[in-house]
Amino acid sequence: MELLTDGLLALLTAYLAFRCMLAPKLSKTVFTFFAFGLILALMWIRLGAVDVAIAEAAIASGFMGVLLLDSLRDFSPSYSEFEDNIEQPPNQVAFAKRSLSQWVPAIASGAGLLLFLFIALQAVREVPAGGGLAAFAEAKLPESGAEHPVTAVLLNFRAYDTLLEVAVILMGLLAIFAAGGIRQFRKPSLPPAKDPVLRKAILIFTPLLFLFGAFLLYIGKSGPGGAFQAAVLWGAIGILLHLGGWRIFNALSRRMRRIIIIAGPLFFLLTGFALMARSGTFLAYPPAFAGFLILIIETLAAVSIAAALTAIYAFLTD
Amino acid sequence: METWEIYSLTSVVIFAIGLGGVFLVKHFLRKIIATVIMGGGVFLCFVSFAKRDTLNFPDPVPHALVITGIVVAVTAAAFALSLARRIHKITGEETFEEKE
Repeated sequence: MELLTDGLLALLTAYLAFRCMLAPKLSKTVFTFFAFGLILALMWIRLGAVDVAIAEAAIASGFMGVLLLDSLRDFSPSYSEFEDNIEQPPNQVAFAKRSLSQWVPAIASGAGLLLFLFIALQAVREVPAGGGLAAFAEAKLPESGAEHPVTAVLLNFRAYDTLLEVAVILMGLLAIFAAGGIRQFRKPSLPPAKDPVLRKAILIFTPLLFLFGAFLLYIGKSGPGGAFQAAVLWGAIGILLHLGGWRIFNALSRRMRRIIIIAGPLFFLLTGFALMARSGTFLAYPPAFAGFLILIIETLAAVSIAAALTAIYAFLTD
Repeated sequence: METWEIYSLTSVVIFAIGLGGVFLVKHFLRKIIATVIMGGGVFLCFVSFAKRDTLNFPDPVPHALVITGIVVAVTAAAFALSLARRIHKITGEETFEEKE
């Protein structure tokens, strides 16, 4: 039975990835990608990685999917100003025009890919059993201030990674601002939703999402959940409100926006240096306060990440 | 076959599909999606080996790395999207192909 479930999930994922690449229409690609992310989330659960499943479903499938859907506005023919650039839907046209000389690179790359596939399959089969770090993590868990091993790794044992990750999100936001040409290429943004039902629904969802995010943040101490999962739910609030016409992010003053986005990484960094002054090691929490420090760091990081995600969305769509 | 074996082999297939997509698919959006799919393959490989190294719980270090990785991958993809949209707005191009 287990074999059947795993096998079907595996086949389905591979098929969806394949369809994603070959779907004739761009919109189909994007929707297949949604499905791919969700099926991947099921696979994480089968592998016992519930934290990863939540992150995958929320960030990689949900948030990424929203950004891709919005990009369809730019690339789909009905919105395109460049009518002659419409993607040709049937791929037979492209195949018929090719001569023999153009087929050679295609066949060569296909053969190369197959070769790569076999080598990589062989490599994965021969990964030596190293035992992993589960034993270490389990031994040190009581000192970490968190009861859930993944949270302990994320915010204590490898807190440095998490700090840099929050910094990477900040960098990504800056890069998007830099690449987007802030004012010059602004296209008329989506009109705010007029539909009263939609607006009401968004207002009902807002406190629910906030509560659920706070729950995930707090439960991260002892079970699957944590800062990133909470951040995406809170980011979803920002995106929903934005879609409903409440531009909360634009309503804040510029300084306020900066403070909110920076607060998480800044506090994380300052804590790290303060602890370094105290004990000589960067981000070495004293076991007595570890739980408390982790909760504060997680909360601030979640607020900052949520604000950064909302900003990425609001900027990319406006 | 163990669960982790099935998924570690699947991860290779997904990675190869994504790699093929990066090379062979033309449109910007599809290329970006292809890189995200490649990333999915790598993460799956990590987590399946974490499952293999289960004691009382699966190895938490790969899990933490994968959560970090997912967020970074999505941020990078969002940056790529903003570049693609900018290119599209300025030139009207949707692919890297030369026009005849």
